[in-house]
Amino acid sequence: MRDNNNSNINRKINELKYQISRYEDQTAYKSLFFILFPSLQNFIFTILKSRVWAEEIASDLMMDVWIKRERLQDIENLKLYLFVSARHAALARLKQENKIDVFSLDEVEVEFISDYINPAQASECTELEYKIAKTVKGLPPACQLIYKLAKEDRLKYKEIAEILHLSVKTIDNQLAIALKRIAEVIGTHKKIFP
Amino acid sequence: MSNDRIWMLLTRKLSGEATQTELEELYAILTVHPEQLHSIEEITQLWNQVTPQDTDFMEATFLAHVERMKSRGIILNTDEPVLDENEIEKVKSISAWKKFRIGIFATLAIIIIFAGWSLLHSKNITDTQSIATKTKEVKTLNGTRTKIILPDGSHVWLNAGSKLNYQKKFDANVREVFLSGEAYFDVVHNAKKPFIIHTATINIKVLGTQFNVKAYDDDKITETSLIKGSVEISLKKNASKKYILKPNQKLVLLNEILLDGDMKVKSTHKDSGDIAMYAPQIKELTYLKNDNNTNVESSWTRNILSFEDEPFYEVAKKLERWYDVSIIFENKRWEHQYMSGAFENENLAQAMNALKFTTGFNYKQEGNTIIIY
Repeated sequence: MRDNNNSNINRKINELKYQISRYEDQTAYKSLFFILFPSLQNFIFTILKSRVWAEEIASDLMMDVWIKRERLQDIENLKLYLFVSARHAALARLKQENKIDVFSLDEVEVEFISDYINPAQASECTELEYKIAKTVKGLPPACQLIYKLAKEDRLKYKEIAEILHLSVKTIDNQLAIALKRIAEVIGTHKKIFP
Repeated sequence: MSNDRIWMLLTRKLSGEATQTELEELYAILTVHPEQLHSIEEITQLWNQVTPQDTDFMEATFLAHVERMKSRGIILNTDEPVLDENEIEKVKSISAWKKFRIGIFATLAIIIIFAGWSLLHSKNITDTQSIATKTKEVKTLNGTRTKIILPDGSHVWLNAGSKLNYQKKFDANVREVFLSGEAYFDVVHNAKKPFIIHTATINIKVLGTQFNVKAYDDDKITETSLIKGSVEISLKKNASKKYILKPNQKLVLLNEILLDGDMKVKSTHKDSGDIAMYAPQIKELTYLKNDNNTNVESSWTRNILSFEDEPFYEVAKKLERWYDVSIIFENKRWEHQYMSGAFENENLAQAMNALKFTTGFNYKQEGNTIIIY
């Protein structure tokens, strides 16, 4: 069974990209912003740990998308392109601010979009959801980041590998670890609350 | 172990990476281990769950983005209403701060459920403009904080129960604001135009810097904490006396002396006991013992309520403003109970229970009032 979620979003992004590039469609640009900005911002925050900088850099990247709109079609995979640029910009900023040359995935602070729940839209979080979230937060930082990029940001293994400079095999393994841990929590919970 | 292999295959399936062979292998394993089906269903559901987007927040974020583009000379003709900078920040800050975060790291944090709130009709933040005098006033009630951008680009975080007045367009020679309550300033550097903050008792002159001012009318003291840069503080009562702070220092002034002349006032710090203080004191900023990166004086700007070795009656005031409640001491002995703590995501009950657990007092809640006994 094919996964629908990934292909839908990627197709949508491609459509918007076309609209922006060909027709300078500003509504399409806004839609693209809504889709990509939060993911980019969270990713940059993960590396920089500063919400203000993350917002700035993510905004710069999206601004670039508009500035370069005529040549957008030259970019085959826009989402991947932006994530790679985000990593590059975040590291450059890190170096500039802290004079750090080396960056370790073990020190990232992963922030999930699902961390923030608008009370007007969701009534409350169930205990199981809480336990799952806690388990995810308990994973090693690199594993968490990979989980986020795969699940929330819907990136493919190859894409994640490229963004994080890891092998696809590592992505495979880390995600399996994450899912296994989550399954364990679910299993235990179900035993208590069948 | 085939048990682990299941997760590998399942993940690949959910991410759309599984080959036909792998899918078949997965089904084969499931046939042998049907007890796993349930977990797999749960995980599949979890994986496909999409967090609904907070469209109001995204609208405000997009507007801020468009404004930023405009400042770089790139104009987008959206049919959006034009909000000025402060309104954008206000909309965003209301959204951001009323969102709740699943506080996994804090030992006491669980889930916070907020009562209903309305985005643009928040009664807790008022922003009035006086056309006659061209000043703007931003006010927060207890339980709310907000962020303001001043005409010169300086950022001000306004804590609960506070008020800031400023001119819509700063003067040619000086930038002036009037504060009652607590605010954290990040002032844009401009040597030619000093930035002056007026409170009831002191004037603070800065050139460009980050600092916190705590000047609540119902507090005994006025406190100015310097994080970065430099400030010069002068007393309204005696303009010739000036205090210059260096980073990581704070100036603590007793309001009663400043307003009413010589009066003996008790020190708030346990170690000094009942020492009469006549002169303003320069102290070092306070950092939490448990986490010495958290500066107590300014932690509220990062949504952390913190206090280090402070008496309960002081902590109670902080709690009142933070949670918008009233705290009454039925048993006065608890007023001088010293406590330390930091709360990031806890609701009132959790915070009170945590404090009760570590100090031993008892309390009951009646509506919006907490009674300590």
